[in-house]
Amino acid sequence: MSDSERSALDAKVLAWMREPATIEWPHDEERFDRLALELFAFQFEHCAPYGRFCARRGRTPATVQNWRDVPPVPSGAFKELALRSFAAEATVHVFRTSGTSAPRRGELHLDTLALYEASVVPSFVVHVLPELVLRQPPDAARPRLRVLAPAPLVAPDSSLSHMFGVLLRELASQGAIGPSGFDVAWGELRFEGWLRALEDAMAHHAPLVLCGTAFAFVHALDELARRGARLSLPAGSRVMETGGFKGRARELSRQALYALIEERLSIPPARIVNQYGMTELASQFHDSVLRFPGAARRKLAPPWVRVRLVDPATGDQVLPGEVGVVVIHDLGNTGSVCAVETADLARAVADGFEVIGREPGAEARGCSLAADEMLTGLGPA
Amino acid sequence: MSTSSAGDVATALERVRHAGMALRARPRAATLDCLAQVLDRWRDPTSKARLSLDLALPEATGFSREVVRAGLVHALQGWTGDALRAVVQRELGGSPRVGDRGCTLAEGFETTSVLLAGALPSPTLLAILAPLALGSPVLVRISSGDPVTARVVASSISEVDPRLGECVEVVQFRAGDLGALDAFLSAECVVASGSDATISAIAARIRPPRRLVAYGHRASVAVLGPGALTSSALPETCQRLALDVALWDQLGCLSPLAVYVIAADCSAIDDLAEGLASALAQAEPRLPRGRIPIAAAAAFARARAEAEVRVAAGRGVGVYGSPRDRWCVVREDTEELREAPLYRFVRIHPLADLAGLSAALGALAPHLAAVAIDGFGADSRSAAQRVAGLGASRVCAPGRMQAPPLGWHHDGQGILTPLCRFSDLEAD
Repeated sequence: MSDSERSALDAKVLAWMREPATIEWPHDEERFDRLALELFAFQFEHCAPYGRFCARRGRTPATVQNWRDVPPVPSGAFKELALRSFAAEATVHVFRTSGTSAPRRGELHLDTLALYEASVVPSFVVHVLPELVLRQPPDAARPRLRVLAPAPLVAPDSSLSHMFGVLLRELASQGAIGPSGFDVAWGELRFEGWLRALEDAMAHHAPLVLCGTAFAFVHALDELARRGARLSLPAGSRVMETGGFKGRARELSRQALYALIEERLSIPPARIVNQYGMTELASQFHDSVLRFPGAARRKLAPPWVRVRLVDPATGDQVLPGEVGVVVIHDLGNTGSVCAVETADLARAVADGFEVIGREPGAEARGCSLAADEMLTGLGPA
Repeated sequence: MSTSSAGDVATALERVRHAGMALRARPRAATLDCLAQVLDRWRDPTSKARLSLDLALPEATGFSREVVRAGLVHALQGWTGDALRAVVQRELGGSPRVGDRGCTLAEGFETTSVLLAGALPSPTLLAILAPLALGSPVLVRISSGDPVTARVVASSISEVDPRLGECVEVVQFRAGDLGALDAFLSAECVVASGSDATISAIAARIRPPRRLVAYGHRASVAVLGPGALTSSALPETCQRLALDVALWDQLGCLSPLAVYVIAADCSAIDDLAEGLASALAQAEPRLPRGRIPIAAAAAFARARAEAEVRVAAGRGVGVYGSPRDRWCVVREDTEELREAPLYRFVRIHPLADLAGLSAALGALAPHLAAVAIDGFGADSRSAAQRVAGLGASRVCAPGRMQAPPLGWHHDGQGILTPLCRFSDLEAD
């Protein structure tokens, strides 16, 4: 019975997600492998297009012996069809990619939000608020979380908004954060409200956790610059930014964004965490800078997620230090497909990885004229 | 090649400006003779220039040696000295020089800067020769994709005529070196190739009244009618298309990204996909694909995997690919243009009729360069005219896409007239 199989799988993954998170958060290889193979067998059988896709590549539950052999679907597949391992009528929620520049949007169909939500909080806490894991003595005031993204009610198909909604709900219910909220609505940055919230936190010496999309940060920082404002945020403040600039009017390198954040908000790069995530996945990656201060910045996953960096032509794992395509195996994706190949290129760094770029060619290209290199730093004279 | 500073670029521009004085003083016919000799030497596979390209271009550009050799044979087959003289005659009509009366004068600018892009050698050759034919000395900024060809062209010119060789300077400066870029863009005429965004950014930095001659991002396709798909015609059609795709690894603006097929019978499209895949497989040992950057390899693999997902979903899609992604043919089930990973990745789309081509091309339609057409029988002429009406600057047969005539109106422009300053001298 697929329902009971699925329920059993969900229960095992949820149990893992609900175990107490630690700074070390050891990766249990045997446990991951066992669950990944169970999940592959289930999805091979219950997500028919995925099953045929794997069979065409000669990968079946009989031949796949290790989680590394589970075939990934390209993230673009989520734009082509609903990759569901459950009946369509059981769908309770659909997350969609932002669609700022692509002709069609990717969709993640879910029959439960339980795994998605269970994955969010421990990852965030370990990487952005590790004090909560370490149970260090609280600061004079609880941190306040301000979100430069729309609330879930405003953007119900945004996985990012849903994630922030869950974070605010769960952390508030645990009493871990002070007054917090969203500062973007209907596509508009509510700058005055955001600024008031920051000033109030400063008045109460409450550290701020500023979260949001990179381009929303740019808007807020531009407005601070226009006003000539520089804020000295309370000690312990930090930033978590996510997303890129694709399709946006203004682009900044991550380095330039971090320099602006430091200049306007007095938060140094060592306290800025980039979150790397995808609508198509239940789990997220975070920079290591707050979890392991002083060590090399790299992206880290929770224990129920694995990453392979692969040679695009062979699908084989690249050698250490080589650049490969990021393939993610996320056990949280029980209802869709667990293994997803992204459009990102990365290099391994210690126990994590650094993203070094994205494949070009999300839209139809013509000739290979390469003069775009000239655009680096190029603007009107 | 070492990187030039802003000062180096400005100095190089002044040197060619100075050399240009002697160039303008000499008869145009004498300059044309020299340039014709350069072209004729380049057509000889045993010439020093060709041997230099054979040696250096594969490493510098990533193309295989076989592709470089075959690509140049195709590209240069019609590029004779006489063809150059014919272009001058066609575009300038042998226009008289200063001193004649009651006529139109056509002169090149005092200096011309040429910003190169891409990795194909033949556009570089023409980009340097054209201003010289008009008496304008040239400052060239090489592209990162091909640091070799511009220097070989400059050497060839110097060998034929050292004084003419002084009218060409080749520089390279760092992307983002705005000082060097501005010095480069201070020539009276600027020729720039690149994406729309690059051209816009360059245009914004050029101070009036300088002339900008822009060659933007282009794409090419093939359109086949039923006559190209008959059992007797199909093998030839596939061989020719495979050649168009394989030469320059599909990286040129004349390389077909997609093939549109007007056929009542779906199985004819399947046969074409299978035949083209087979022809690409046969071409691989003869014209091996060259180096592929990892980002492009990733885009290639993803596009193939995404097509395989559509196959698995039961769509009428077919995927024919080599084991290590050396080439791939995707038989699509709709007209909708999709991502083009290049490097020998071809999509075959059904098309109801030619009237639907513009809509099928979507955002790419304004960027159309060449269209190879075949199989329209008695309607070939009208089919070619309809395709030209969509903005294609070249309509040719499959197998000829990589062999444009010297006088092809690239981007719908003349070769020489955009680089000219015309003066109308009215008779008393």
